[in-house]
Amino acid sequence: MTDMINAEMEEININTEVLVIGGGLTGLKAASEIAASGYKVSLIEKESDIGFQKETNYLFSVNKKELASLEKLIRQVKKNNKIEVFTQTQIKGVTGVTGDFNVTLSKENELKGKKVGVIIIATNFSVEPMNEKYGLSLSENVLTQSQMEELLAPDNKSGREKLANKTVAFVVGFAQDGYPLVMERVMRSVLAAEETDGCNAYVYAGDLKVASDGLEMIYKDTRDNGATYFKLKEAPNINPDGKTISFYDDVLRRDMELSPDLLVVEEAVCADQSNEGLAELLRIDMGPLGFLQKDNVHLFPVCSNREGIFVVGATREVQDLPLIWTDVENMSLKVKNLLGDGTRMVPKEKAVVDTGKCVFCLTCYRCCPHGAIYWDEDNKAVISKIACQACGICASECPMDAIQIGGFKDEDIKVQIQKCIETGNNEPNIIAFCCQNSAFEAGEMAEAFNMPLPAGLKIIKVPCAGKVDIDYILSAFVNGADGVLVMTCHSGNCKSEQGNTFANMRVGDVHRMFEVTGFENDRLKYVTLASNMGQDFSSAAIDMERKIKELGPSALRN
Amino acid sequence: MSTANKKVMVVGGGIAGLTAAWELSQLNIDVELIEKTCFLGGYAIQFCCKATDECVTCGACSAEDMLYNVVNEPKIKVHLATEIEKINKNGKLSVSLKKSSPQTDSAEGGLAKGYSKNNSPLLVVVDKSSCKKIPDGAVAFDDIELVNKIDDIDAVVLASGFNPFNAEIKGTYGYHKFNNVVTGLDLERIIRKNGVVVRPSDGKEPKAVAFIQCVGSRDENLGNLWCSQVCCPYALRMAEQTKYKNPDTDITVFYMDIQNAGKNFPVFYEKCKSDMRFVRNIPVDLYPIKGDKLQMRYMNDDDGLSVKEVFDMVVLSIGIMPGSDNAQLSELLDINLNQDGFFACKDKFNRTSTSKDGIFIAGTVQGPKTIAASMAHATQAAGEVMKYLGVSK
Repeated sequence: MTDMINAEMEEININTEVLVIGGGLTGLKAASEIAASGYKVSLIEKESDIGFQKETNYLFSVNKKELASLEKLIRQVKKNNKIEVFTQTQIKGVTGVTGDFNVTLSKENELKGKKVGVIIIATNFSVEPMNEKYGLSLSENVLTQSQMEELLAPDNKSGREKLANKTVAFVVGFAQDGYPLVMERVMRSVLAAEETDGCNAYVYAGDLKVASDGLEMIYKDTRDNGATYFKLKEAPNINPDGKTISFYDDVLRRDMELSPDLLVVEEAVCADQSNEGLAELLRIDMGPLGFLQKDNVHLFPVCSNREGIFVVGATREVQDLPLIWTDVENMSLKVKNLLGDGTRMVPKEKAVVDTGKCVFCLTCYRCCPHGAIYWDEDNKAVISKIACQACGICASECPMDAIQIGGFKDEDIKVQIQKCIETGNNEPNIIAFCCQNSAFEAGEMAEAFNMPLPAGLKIIKVPCAGKVDIDYILSAFVNGADGVLVMTCHSGNCKSEQGNTFANMRVGDVHRMFEVTGFENDRLKYVTLASNMGQDFSSAAIDMERKIKELGPSALRN
Repeated sequence: MSTANKKVMVVGGGIAGLTAAWELSQLNIDVELIEKTCFLGGYAIQFCCKATDECVTCGACSAEDMLYNVVNEPKIKVHLATEIEKINKNGKLSVSLKKSSPQTDSAEGGLAKGYSKNNSPLLVVVDKSSCKKIPDGAVAFDDIELVNKIDDIDAVVLASGFNPFNAEIKGTYGYHKFNNVVTGLDLERIIRKNGVVVRPSDGKEPKAVAFIQCVGSRDENLGNLWCSQVCCPYALRMAEQTKYKNPDTDITVFYMDIQNAGKNFPVFYEKCKSDMRFVRNIPVDLYPIKGDKLQMRYMNDDDGLSVKEVFDMVVLSIGIMPGSDNAQLSELLDINLNQDGFFACKDKFNRTSTSKDGIFIAGTVQGPKTIAASMAHATQAAGEVMKYLGVSK
């Protein structure tokens, strides 16, 4: 079998311009870092100016000096000759693949085309008041967290004076699970409120989310300065006017009542509403809770399912400013690795379409999880050598068998299958098709650690379980295998997102064929495991061997 | 400026050090990777996969991937069983190295064993006298090669990691006294080895398991005023996996505040709540009773009275403490620690920065982090190194 490492390479030219979507803090930092690497940047912002809103300094709790450094960043971006800023501009369309994206931008209904090599999505948080979830209307004495922060702003002297000798109650963590960032806003407000004479702070909280650097210390500071926390299982009863809070106190073990002068209701920090539209337009996966990026460890921190499209900061998760900076630096390094000096060496035969066989059914276009397939003017599928991750899902789904993956060609794998069958021994012949990212590694681990393995076990490495064709499974049995294992990553852990799902579907298809023909279903099994699960690999293989010994040799075995 | 002849030293071969080393090597930097123990991978490589029928994004498999990358990368030179002795700055840095002392405590019968097939070597004889039979392929600790001095280093990434909290300090939980009291780290190793949770006393799957959260973290009496950020995720994930593999297991989690685990936490947490019991109370003490079981005392939620309950196994969710070498490293490298004993950041927004130019920090040496967060932080450190070296594209 040929290995991709030794495959013949060719040089291709790629566009090194970068499009950054979002002119908030994250987008500004992203643009400036990419420009510093020497690439041209187009920064688009749907609002009339780039920069960050006043709320940001509350949200990220930055001091004056830090704020000045962030404001400097705006000026630097504006005067950087490598960065072109487009305000009131949105992205309306995109075609092509990394290194060669064609994007359509619109400004006041005027459309403009642009060619870029990489796209960065850097949308902002949105902040939503949660008072309705508590059955409260905002009023003089019922405030949102943002309104409270305005009162407490360092330059708002009259706001702070209003808090003198007042009792302030905060409610947080009952309308949402929340994040450390939400908690930090509350605790910083408590600290600031405590600086005002006679102001007493009470915090009603669900789980205190303190899993962030320095937050436990702030929590202690708020208590040392006089704040009282009531940690409750469910939200306290709050009178609709916000003037009485009644609850059962777990520590004192009695019903309590508090009449605060001010009630501050938590705000949720949410994904930007434009994310969904961007995901659809750019053909990238949505993750949980409206953020972009599936919950898949192989994508962390900043990758999307498409090569050359990166998601940073609040686009993908609720994060504080230092973590957003971490994201930007990660992205910047990945962009550098991807674009280099504008030329790239790629394997010549990563995934090859036989244009003679291709009938333009678009199956490959639809099933490619990496958005790496497009079509040319002759209406034939084209697979981008740079966007393609060589998982082989398309090759196994193509109804015309028109696609071959370099290093894993169908004919080579079939030869391997034949070689795996040993005639003349009494051990059950078991063929395990193993994803190179998980099961193959686990198998090697089982061997290295001398874990028990069936004597007749043969392993065939595949780039991803998505490459395991129904043909392979059938061919294994036709050639005399007594059992077949399709072993791959757990759901949600596939580097190609759905390779394991496709493999599982195909195993299901073969099981149905077996049911019709009366062949034993137990001879074929789909197993998920991780690369460090040598023990599980061993037990799955031994289980299969035991089952086959019960069933006896396959009826198809000569 | 070209990347030719740029050399960076990475201190620590855990997940952060591996990631920093690999990212730098991909940018054509020569890396000297120093690791105190006999193996690469640190704690992360000892962790188990916590998937149920689906991945729960614990990141343990990423450690495996990164180790594979590093051992196959010729631009990274690995120095095992090695510590820094002295650093001289004369233009570039010159680092004198010394052999570390063999870690005999984790060895069985004088033999230390790696956790991954990519550990090279896989077996190291750390104590010849107590090693009855030396297996094939084992390397003697004394034979691990030491390079005495490395010159011409342009920058340093400190990624020397953390210490797991020593659970013996919480004396009333009887760790190391009672067989079936284990730490979260022990449980990771148990699952990695056996595929399921088994009791140390009899190797059988326990029926009733308790997890005690915040052991060593968020503890004012100990002066540990930080949340370790990883214990709720690992405990809930291992508990969920146990429940998935053996639905008859009864699991109770004793906690103060549950922290988020994963991007889809609200869904995960609901599942946890339906699969196990949560008690918002930190237990007082426990002691062994008949059948290697443990009787635990805690305060009841409903009436505030003391309750006694029996468990087959108790897991102490120990936290992330500053590395035991931090004070020494801080002196050697001349960089500051913060009030908690982790390394301090000079720039609040850039958590890889230190009080000294050319020295960067990566991973849990800066503060508690998950595997994913350590990797992102280490990649950031590699990026900052490149900027410091004045290397653009």
